[in-house]
Amino acid sequence: MTLSSAAYGLLGALPATDNPSADFSDTPWWVALIKALVIFVYLLISTLLVIWFERRIIGRMQQRPGPNRNGPFGLLQTLADGAKLMLKEDITPAKADKIIYLLAPLIAGTMAFVSFAIIPFGGEVWMFGHRTPLQLTDVPVAVLLVLAVASVGVYGIILAGWSSGSTYPLLGGLRSTAQVISYEIAMGLSLVAIFLFSGSMSTSQIVAAQSSLWYILPAFFSFAVYVITMVGETNRLPFDLAEGEGELTGGFHTEYSSMRFAMFFLGEYINMFTVAALATTMFLGGWQAPPFIAAINNGMFNHGWWGILWFTIKMWIFIFGFVWLRGSLPRTRYDQFMRFGWKFLIPITLAWVVAVAFIRGAQLGFLGEGTVTVGPLGFNTSTLVIVAVVAVIALAVAWVWDGRREARLAAEQVSPPEEIDPFAGGHPVPPLPGQRLREPSVALTAGGSSGESVVSGGTVTAVKEEDHG
Amino acid sequence: MTSTAEAVAFWILGPLAVLGALGLIFARKAVHAALGMALTMVTLGVFYLIEKADFLGVIQIFVYTGAVMMIFLFVIMLVGVDSSDSLLETIKGQRWWSFIFVIGLAGLLIFTLGQVTFDAKTVQAGMDRLVANNNATGNVTGIAEKIFGQYVWAFEVTSALLITAALGAMVLAHRERIVPKRTQAEWAARRVKENQDVAGLPAPGVYARHNAVDTPALLPDGRPAAKSVSRVLVARDQVARTDGYRDVERYIEREIEEGRQK
Amino acid sequence: MTAVAPAAFQQANIDYLAVLPLLIVFGAALVGVLVEAFVPRERRHTIQLTISVASLVLAFVAILFATKHQGLTFGYTDGATSRRLFALAIDGPALFMQGALVLMGVLGILIMAERFGGVGSDAFTASGASTPGSPIEAASARAGLITSEVFPLTLFAIGGMMLFPTVNDLIGMFIALEVLSLPLYILSGLARRRRLLSQEASLKYFLLGAFSSAFFLFGTALLYGYAGSVYFGDLSKAVSDTSLGLNGLLVAGAFLVFVGLLFKVGAVPFHAWTPDVYQGAPTPVTGFMAACTKAAAFGAILRLAYVGLDTASWQWQNAVIIVAVLTMIVGAVLSVTQTDMKRLLAYSSIAHAGFVLVGVLAFDQRGVSSVLFYVVAYGFSIIAAFGLVTLVRQDGGEATHLSQWAGLGKSHPVIAGTMAFLMLAFAGIPLTSGFVAKFAVFAAAIGTGGATGTVLVVIGAVCSAITVFVYARVIVLMFFSEPADDTVEVLVPSVGTTFAIAIGTLITFALGVVPSSLLDLADRASQFVR
Repeated sequence: MTLSSAAYGLLGALPATDNPSADFSDTPWWVALIKALVIFVYLLISTLLVIWFERRIIGRMQQRPGPNRNGPFGLLQTLADGAKLMLKEDITPAKADKIIYLLAPLIAGTMAFVSFAIIPFGGEVWMFGHRTPLQLTDVPVAVLLVLAVASVGVYGIILAGWSSGSTYPLLGGLRSTAQVISYEIAMGLSLVAIFLFSGSMSTSQIVAAQSSLWYILPAFFSFAVYVITMVGETNRLPFDLAEGEGELTGGFHTEYSSMRFAMFFLGEYINMFTVAALATTMFLGGWQAPPFIAAINNGMFNHGWWGILWFTIKMWIFIFGFVWLRGSLPRTRYDQFMRFGWKFLIPITLAWVVAVAFIRGAQLGFLGEGTVTVGPLGFNTSTLVIVAVVAVIALAVAWVWDGRREARLAAEQVSPPEEIDPFAGGHPVPPLPGQRLREPSVALTAGGSSGESVVSGGTVTAVKEEDHG
Repeated sequence: MTSTAEAVAFWILGPLAVLGALGLIFARKAVHAALGMALTMVTLGVFYLIEKADFLGVIQIFVYTGAVMMIFLFVIMLVGVDSSDSLLETIKGQRWWSFIFVIGLAGLLIFTLGQVTFDAKTVQAGMDRLVANNNATGNVTGIAEKIFGQYVWAFEVTSALLITAALGAMVLAHRERIVPKRTQAEWAARRVKENQDVAGLPAPGVYARHNAVDTPALLPDGRPAAKSVSRVLVARDQVARTDGYRDVERYIEREIEEGRQK
Repeated sequence: MTAVAPAAFQQANIDYLAVLPLLIVFGAALVGVLVEAFVPRERRHTIQLTISVASLVLAFVAILFATKHQGLTFGYTDGATSRRLFALAIDGPALFMQGALVLMGVLGILIMAERFGGVGSDAFTASGASTPGSPIEAASARAGLITSEVFPLTLFAIGGMMLFPTVNDLIGMFIALEVLSLPLYILSGLARRRRLLSQEASLKYFLLGAFSSAFFLFGTALLYGYAGSVYFGDLSKAVSDTSLGLNGLLVAGAFLVFVGLLFKVGAVPFHAWTPDVYQGAPTPVTGFMAACTKAAAFGAILRLAYVGLDTASWQWQNAVIIVAVLTMIVGAVLSVTQTDMKRLLAYSSIAHAGFVLVGVLAFDQRGVSSVLFYVVAYGFSIIAAFGLVTLVRQDGGEATHLSQWAGLGKSHPVIAGTMAFLMLAFAGIPLTSGFVAKFAVFAAAIGTGGATGTVLVVIGAVCSAITVFVYARVIVLMFFSEPADDTVEVLVPSVGTTFAIAIGTLITFALGVVPSSLLDLADRASQFVR
C-alpha cells in the first residue's frame, strides 16, 4: 500500500450510490442456502472453540492450566459441558409467565445468528460453477440491520428477567434495558462516522471503501467508542451488570437451567462474534489482507477464499481482547457505568460525529476547492483548516478538563498536619509517616508534677506521657 | 404486480400483525400488551422491507424495539411488575356506550374504506419509481434527499418537539436535591449523637432458619423485631410471619431444658 | 480529486424574512432552555420573562416585515410536474393569526409571570416533580425553587400555534399540532395549588390529546392515500382528478382530520376535556389556552377547509354543521348549571367555538375575515377574564366558586366592574367586541350560507340568549347580593398583570366601539395563497 493510495482512501469521493458493491446476480437460491448452512456451522464450531479458548487463556493468566482433560489440550471440554447441560433438569419456576419464559431463550439464541447474514467473509469466488461473493446477503442498510437485530435480541434478556417471576432476574433484566438504551446510542453514533467516510451502510461497500486505508486510522475515535460499547452490548466483563454473579447471582438467567440456559450461553458467545465481526468489517478492512501481505505478488493473497483466513484472524483478535478484559478487569459499579455512558460517551461521540461531518464535507470539496501540495500528496485546504480547528478545540477542551481535574484532586488532597496530638480523639493514635508527635508544652513540663492532668485539645491527657516525647 | 413470494409473506405476516394488534388491546397484562405491540411493529418493518423501502423498514424495527422497551420500563416502574387491567367501571354504562360508538366508527371506516379500489397501474408506477430510485441513487440517499430538501422544515421543527419532551420530562420527573445527600459517615454520627440504634439497625432473618430480607429478626422474648425489615416490605404487606420459627425455638429450648433436668 | 455532489438533490427555497417570526420565537425558546441550564436560579425568572416578552415583541415587528414577503416558502416547485411543494404558506390569514397570537401571547406570559411578591410565578408549583402535599414540596417552596421552565415551554407552544395556521401540508400541520399541544399538556400539570386536580387535568388533556392526534394522523394517512400527496394544493386538485374508486379514502380521511382539529377547539362531541382542563390548569395557562389554542386551531381549520378540502366540501360540510349546532347548544345549556367560575368560562368557550364554526361554514372571504375577527376579539377578552380570576382569593387560593364572588361589586368595584364588562362582551351586548364579532360571523353565514346558514344563525341567536342569562346571573351575583363571608380578598396585581388585564379590557371595548380598523384588516388578510 503506497502513501498516495492511502491518501486516496481518505480523500476519496462518495460512491454514486449507497447500494451494496457485492454482486449477487449469479447466486441461485441453493447456493445461498449452502452459504447459510456453512455460516451456521462456522459459528457453532467457533463457539465450541471460543469457550475452550477463553478458559485456557484465563487459566494461563491466572497461572493454572485450565481445562485439559477431554480430548487433545482439553478441546472437547465444551462438548462435554454441552452434553451435561442437556441432561440437566429443566426447571420452570411456579411464578413464571410460562409462554414468555419459554420464548425468551429462543429469541436470545436465534437472533444472535441473524446478523452474520450480512457480514462479508471474503471476495467473489467460484462456487459450484457460480460466481458469488462470500457473503450470504447484503442490503443498503446492512449495518443498521445488525443494530436492529441486536436490539431485538436484547428482548430475550429483558423478557427472561421479567418472566422468571423472581427478583434477581427482574433486576438483571432492568439493568440490561438501561444498559442497552444507553450504550446503543453511543454505538450507533460511533458507526455514523464510518457511514460518513464510506458513504454507505452496506457492508460490502464499506469493505470495498477500505481497500487502501482501514478506517481504524481516520475514525480512530469511533473505533475506541465502538470497542467500549461492544463490550457493554454483549454483557461481558467489565460491563456484565445484567448477570453480575456477585450481586444478582446470575441476573436475568438465574432461574434458567438445562437447554434453555444453554441457549443464553450460546447467544452470548455468538453475539461476541457478531460484534467482533462487525468491528472487523467496519474498522479493520473486513476480509482484506493486511497491508504488505496484500501487496505481495500483485494481491494474490487479497482475493477469493483467502478472505476467510484474514477475516477469521482479525475477528479472533477482538475475541482475545474480550478474554483479556475478562481476565484483568473487575466489574464496574452500575452508576459509574451509566454515568460513563450518558455523560461522557454520548456527548463526546456526538461532537466527534459533527467534526467528522465537517472534515468529510471539506474533503468532498463542499467548503472550497483549494489544495495544498506536500510532496506527492495533494490536500484540500479547507480539510486541513478544519482538521486543525478540530485538533485545537480538542486540545483546548482536554487542557481545561485536565486543569479542572488537577484542581479537584488538589482540593481533595488534604495533607495531614505536620504535628499530631496522639490523644486528641481520646484514643492513642500513632503518627502518619512524616508526622511529628506534638511537642509537650514547656510550661507544663516545668511546673507540672507527676500524675497531674492537663486539658489538651478538649480531652484529658496524662502528663506522664510527656516524658517520652 | 404482486409476486408470489410477496403474497406468501403477506399472508403469513399479515395475520401476525393483526394478532399482535389485538393482543395490544385485549391482553390483560400490560407486558403482554407491549409484546403484542412489538410484534406488530416488527412485522410492519418487515412489510416495508418487502416493499423495497429498506431504510424505513429497518429503522421501524430499530426505533420501535427501543420504544417498546421504554413501555416495558414504564409498566414495571409505574404500574407494577405484574399488574393487570382493572375491570371496574368508574362511569356507569360507559362500556356499552363506548362499544356502540366503536361499532359506529368501525362501521363507518369499513364501509367507506371497503369501497376503495386502487388503480393497479398507478400503484405499479409508484413502485417502479421507487425501484428505479433505489437502483440509481440508493434508498438511503433517496430518503436523505427528501428529508433535507422537500421536507426540511418538518424535519427541523420536529426538534422543537423533542426539546419540549425533554424539558417536560425534566420538569415533571426530575427532583432537584434541596439538601445535600447524607453520607454514611453522617448517618453513623447521627446514630451515635441521638443514641438510637448505635450499632445499626438489626439485621433481618432468623439465623440458621431463614435469612431472607422479608423475615424479621426475633427479639429475645420471641417477638419479631419491627426494625429489622425494610419499611417498603411492611408497606406492601410482604413481611413473612415468624411464629413458626419462634415455636421451633421454644421447642428446642424445652428439649435442652429437659435434657439438663435428666 | 473532484467534488461529487449528489445529482438529483434539490434544495428547498427559503425566504428567511417570511419565516423570521417563527424563527425568532423558536430561537427564543431555545435560549430559554439554555438559560434554565446555566443561569443561577434567583435570576432566572426575570431573565426568562424578559426574553419571552422581548422575543414576542420582536416577532411582531418581524410579522410586519413579513407582510411584504407573502407567498409559499420552504420547498420547491417540482420541475417535471410543476407541482408546488412548499411547506409553509405565508399569507394574509397566516400572518394575521401570527400577529394576534404573538400579542395575546405577550399578555398571557405577563399574567403567568405574576409573583405577588414571591420568588417565582405565583400560579406555578415550586417543584413539579414532588408529590402533592409531601414534605419535599414544602421544602422546595421554602428553598426558593421555581418552575421557570414554563416560559420556554410557553414560547414553544406559541411557536407551534403560529405554525399551525401557516403550514401548507398535512404532515406540517400534524407536527405543528404536536408542537403546540405538548407544552400545554405539561403546563396544565404545574399548578401551585390544588395540584392533584391540576395533574389530573394534565393527564386527561394528554390522553385525549394523544387520542385526537391519532385521529388526525390516521386521517392524514388516508388523505395521502387518496391524493398521493400531503400538500393542500394537491389535495384540492385531486378531488377533481382522482377516480371515484378512491372516494372512500377522502370521506374517511376528511372526517378523521376534522375530528383531530375540532378536538383542539373543544367542539362538541370532542369537548369532554375542556371543563376539566380549564378548571385544573393554572389559571393564567387556562387563559392562554382559551385564547391562543382556539385562535391557532381555527386558523388551521380555515386553511384545511378553504385550501385543502375546499373542493370536497360536500363530503364533510354536513358533519361540521351538526357539530356546530351541537357545540352551540351544549356549550350554552351546560354553562347555565355551572357553579365554578373557571368551568363556567370553559363551557362559555365551548359555546363560542360553536359560533366561530358558523363563520367557518360561510365558505367565502367574509367568513374567513369574520372568523379572524372573532378569535381575536374573544381571545383578548378571555385572557383578561382569566387574569381577573387569578386575583380573587380566599385563604391564599383562588376563589373560583361563584358564591365566593357574591358581593364583590361592593367591596371591589373596579375588579367586579371589569369582570362584568367582559361578561357583557361574552354575551354579545353592543358596545363590546363580542357583539361585533357575533354580528360578523352571523352576517357572513346569512349572506352566503343559504338556508342552512340562516338556520345556524337562528340557533346561534337562541344560544346567545341562553348565555346572556348565565352572564347576567354572575353580574347580579356580584353587584346585587350580599357577600357570603368576608375572607374573600382581591390581591393587588403587579404592573405586568395590570397591563395585561387593562389591555385586554380596552381592546374588548375598542373593538366594540370602533371595530372598523380591525375588520378592514381582517378583510384584507382573508385571502389564502395556494
